Amino acid sequence: MPDSDNDESGGPSNADFSSPREQDRFLPIANVSRIMKKALPANAKISKDGKETVQECVSEFISFITGEASDKCQREKRKTINGDDLLWAMTTLGFEDYVEPLKLYLHKFRELEGDKAAAGSQPPPPPSSTHNGAGVPVGYGMYGAGGGSGMIMMMGQPMYPPAASSGYSQQPPHHQMSMGGKGGAYGHCDGSSSSPSGLRRHDGL
Amino acid sequence: MEPKSTTPPPPPVMGAPIAYPPPPGAAYPAGPYVHAPAAALYPPPPLPPAPPSSQQGAAAAHQQQLFWAEQYREIEATTDFKNHNLPLARIKKIMKADEDVRMIAAEAPVVFSRACEMFILELTHRGWAHAEENKRRTLQKSDIAAAVARTEVFDFLVDIVPRDEAKDADSAAMGAAGIPHPAAGLPAADPMGYYYVQPQ
Repeated sequence: MPDSDNDESGGPSNADFSSPREQDRFLPIANVSRIMKKALPANAKISKDGKETVQECVSEFISFITGEASDKCQREKRKTINGDDLLWAMTTLGFEDYVEPLKLYLHKFRELEGDKAAAGSQPPPPPSSTHNGAGVPVGYGMYGAGGGSGMIMMMGQPMYPPAASSGYSQQPPHHQMSMGGKGGAYGHCDGSSSSPSGLRRHDGL
Repeated sequence: MEPKSTTPPPPPVMGAPIAYPPPPGAAYPAGPYVHAPAAALYPPPPLPPAPPSSQQGAAAAHQQQLFWAEQYREIEATTDFKNHNLPLARIKKIMKADEDVRMIAAEAPVVFSRACEMFILELTHRGWAHAEENKRRTLQKSDIAAAVARTEVFDFLVDIVPRDEAKDADSAAMGAAGIPHPAAGLPAADPMGYYYVQPQ
C-alpha cells in the first residue's frame, strides 16, 4: 500500500536523480522497467538512460493530463479532479485509444467502492452514480450508463467537439467494434462483488 | 512481421478487420450496436510510396488493434484494485506538483495507474520498433526519442527528449532503411501520426 504523502511540493530544479525530493517527481524506475519489459521480446535489453527517459516521459504524461483536467474543473467551478475529468482530458489531448479500456476500469473500481460504501456483501440496486456525488451536478452521461447499452449509445455522440473532434471521429469504428464484441461482458462484470479494503485511505471527495 | 505482397481492396467499413467473438454468456447481440458514420467524416489517408512502409504500416496497425484488445481483456479480468503496478501515492504527488490542482478524488490515481501503464507500453513498443530497424537488441534513449518524433500524440514530450537526438535517430533510421522522409519528426503519410489507420 502507498506510504505517507505529506510532502506535496515539487522537486528542486536540479537534475540530480539521487535527491529524495527529485526522485518523488518520478515513478519508481523498477516499476517502470518492469512494465517496459512487458512490451518487449524476452531477449531484449533496456539501457539505463532508456528507462530514465521513459520515467521522465510518464511524469510529463501525468502532468499533461492533470493540467488539462484541472483547467476543466476550474472552468466548471469544481475543486476535485475525478476519474471522468481525466478521461475527458485524455480524449481532448489525443489519447482516445486509452479511454475505452479506462472507462471499464473506472466502472469496475466504482462498483467495488459502491460495495464497500454499502458495507454489505450484496451490491446495492441504486446506479453507480449514487456514490460519486461530485459527478452528478455536471450531468455526465457516463454516470447514467448503467450497462453496455448506455455505453454504446454514448460513444456515438461527440462528447467534446472543440479541439479533438477531428481526431475523435477517426476512432468510432474501432471503439464500436471493440464495444460490440465486449458488451456482453458487462453482465459478467456485475457479478464481481469482492471488496478489498485500504483504498479509502486516499483523500476523498 | 506479416509480409503481404498483394494489397486487397479496402473494406467498406473501416476499422472492422478483426471480428472478436462475443464472450460466453454475452447478453448484447449486434442489434443495439450503434455505428457512427466515420467513413464519411474521415477521409482515407494517402498511401505510403514505398511497399516496405506500406507493409510496416499495416502490420503496425494490426499490432495496435491487438494491443488495445488485449488491454480491454486484461481490464475485464481485473478484480483486485488494491495492488497496482504503479504506486498511487507517487502518482498523486506528481499530480499535486501543479499548484492549480487542489483536491484529487481517490479514483483519479487509480485511473492514472492504468493509464500510465498503457502509456509506458505504447512508448516502449514504438521505441522498440526503432531499435529493431537499427538491428539492436537494447532499447536506448534514442529509440524513445524516435518514437516521440514519429508519433504526433507524443508531441508534448519534445521538451523531455531533446530534438537533436530525435533528428539523429531519424537520420540513422532513414539511412538504414533507405526510405526518404520528408522531414524528421513529421509523420509522412498519416496526419494524425497514429499507425492505427490501415491503408489498404
